Amino acid sequence: MIPLAHGFVVRSDLPIPEWLFGWAAAMVLVVSFVALAILWPDPRLQDEGWRPLPRGVGRWLTSRPVEILCGAIGVFLLGLVVYSGLRGTQTATANFATTFIYVIFWLGLVPASVLLGDVFKAFNPWRAIGRAVAWIARIAARGPLPAPLAYPRWLGRWPAAAGIFAFAALELVASNGDKPENIAIATLIYSALTFVAMALYGIETWIERGEAFSVYFNLFSRLSPIETRDGVVGYRKPLSGLPALEALPGTVPLLAVMIGSVTFDGAAEAPLWTGIAPDISSFFQDVGLTPQTALELTFLIGLVASILLVYGFYRLGVIGARSVGGGFTTGRLAGAFIHSIVPIALAYVAAHYLTLLLIQGQAISFLASDPLGDGADLFGTANTQIDYGVIGATATWYWQVGFVVVGHVIALTLAHDRALAIYDNARLAVRSQYWMLAIMVGFTSLALWLLSQANA
Amino acid sequence: MVALVVAVVAFVIARPGDDDDGDGSQQAAQTTTTQTETGTADGAAETQTEAEPAPPPKPEISRIRVRGGTVVGGVERVQAAKGDTVRIVVTSDAPDEIHLHGYDIYENAAPGRPARFVFRADIEGIFEIESHVAEDAGKDPLLARLVVEPS
Repeated sequence: MIPLAHGFVVRSDLPIPEWLFGWAAAMVLVVSFVALAILWPDPRLQDEGWRPLPRGVGRWLTSRPVEILCGAIGVFLLGLVVYSGLRGTQTATANFATTFIYVIFWLGLVPASVLLGDVFKAFNPWRAIGRAVAWIARIAARGPLPAPLAYPRWLGRWPAAAGIFAFAALELVASNGDKPENIAIATLIYSALTFVAMALYGIETWIERGEAFSVYFNLFSRLSPIETRDGVVGYRKPLSGLPALEALPGTVPLLAVMIGSVTFDGAAEAPLWTGIAPDISSFFQDVGLTPQTALELTFLIGLVASILLVYGFYRLGVIGARSVGGGFTTGRLAGAFIHSIVPIALAYVAAHYLTLLLIQGQAISFLASDPLGDGADLFGTANTQIDYGVIGATATWYWQVGFVVVGHVIALTLAHDRALAIYDNARLAVRSQYWMLAIMVGFTSLALWLLSQANA
Repeated sequence: MVALVVAVVAFVIARPGDDDDGDGSQQAAQTTTTQTETGTADGAAETQTEAEPAPPPKPEISRIRVRGGTVVGGVERVQAAKGDTVRIVVTSDAPDEIHLHGYDIYENAAPGRPARFVFRADIEGIFEIESHVAEDAGKDPLLARLVVEPS
């Protein structure tokens, strides 16, 4: 098979062994029923209880100099990705662009967001450039700029869903998605689109709803106890940021894209997929496509099918929950519970990409010294090497299973709390939870199955 | 109750069948079979294909043959447990540089002079063994996968 973007993954994970799979699945079931029995009878998480960080730290973190510094770092890194992608070596593993985008940015910002809050917003290069340009434009125009267009409500988070889908397609479908030059060009195109959209709808509005990476990392940051509110960094009850997620149109598809793309990345290594992919691919070659296009189309079908599967499964559970009564529409219920799927999406990402981040992430040490792969040694770290033994197979398995089980429990907790909040009848709330539980167990079982199938 | 049924069904569906295990060991057995035979690509040794598996005595040597830029018998897995001494011999009908990723060992191969890898498998995981000539030519460079399991 033609190497795909994951060609730069040097050490792949061993599949979790069958006994651990069995234990993990059993644990998920036990935990689920224990949770149903002991969880609180009144909603608790719907109020965030936000307070600023003490001693003015919260205000200092968002002060103008810190803001400008963070923005400048973001813009510098954006420039470095484009520059090294276009000018550097085209060997993916030796170029700063590939590892930085697929590992440090895409994976590394996930734990950073969960622990520290919405850090990407501070470093977001598009936001920084947009604000700088707006500031200059205001001075040039000697007055306020014309008001942006009203952001259509139906558009919601759809642009973000489309953006994350495009990113996943570049990473998982495109044959040369890890080629530094292609990453640089994709970055330039995405930047141009973002600037146009920010000019049309306003910088902050687009960052909040349309800019794919802002929306993506912001979703994970809602699990964090740290949140910036009205320009002050503060803390809140853990998990309480998620119930405040407004279910704008496109939010359910966005979560489906997030979970579906990880699912496909895992399933692409499973015998189920490696068995049928060549057949689909050869069919496309028979109708006259080149082998590379045929393979890309095959993988695109796999990616879309995975996303639709995840979306359909969630809708099915929601339809079930609707059938218990309460007078809600399917759309209202789908939106009401979608926030509880975020920890599951996190578990998918964490379990699937743990070793990629820990191992390939080390490469940033020598890539920082030699971003173009031309033999430079800016910081004297160009000769450092990746320690592939940093985490053993057994430890990897336990972490993976741990992420999945913890994600499951958090999801159940959030869904339970939401059910208590929206149903005025406690019995209906509990009955709707059987359906939500079925969704969660389904997603969690799929996650475990993928871990057991990886590279099998 | 509904949840229980769904949960159990999900569990049963998701649970990898026992066949998987059987397939795995069968595959391993096939691997050793192809390794012990002289697998000429031209089909001269066709008569021996059904030969008895006869597990080879230690030290086990994994042989990979490259003919005309492709691996004879397809991409195989070289299985090892952590701590094992692994021996891999790659023969090629053209000059090539063979790279074992992760362990980062490079060996040269040429007609009549196979690339020999001898090392202790001390990093767990799955690692690719690739041909750099194929890679430079824009072809699929994957020759085999080294699978190191916890001992």
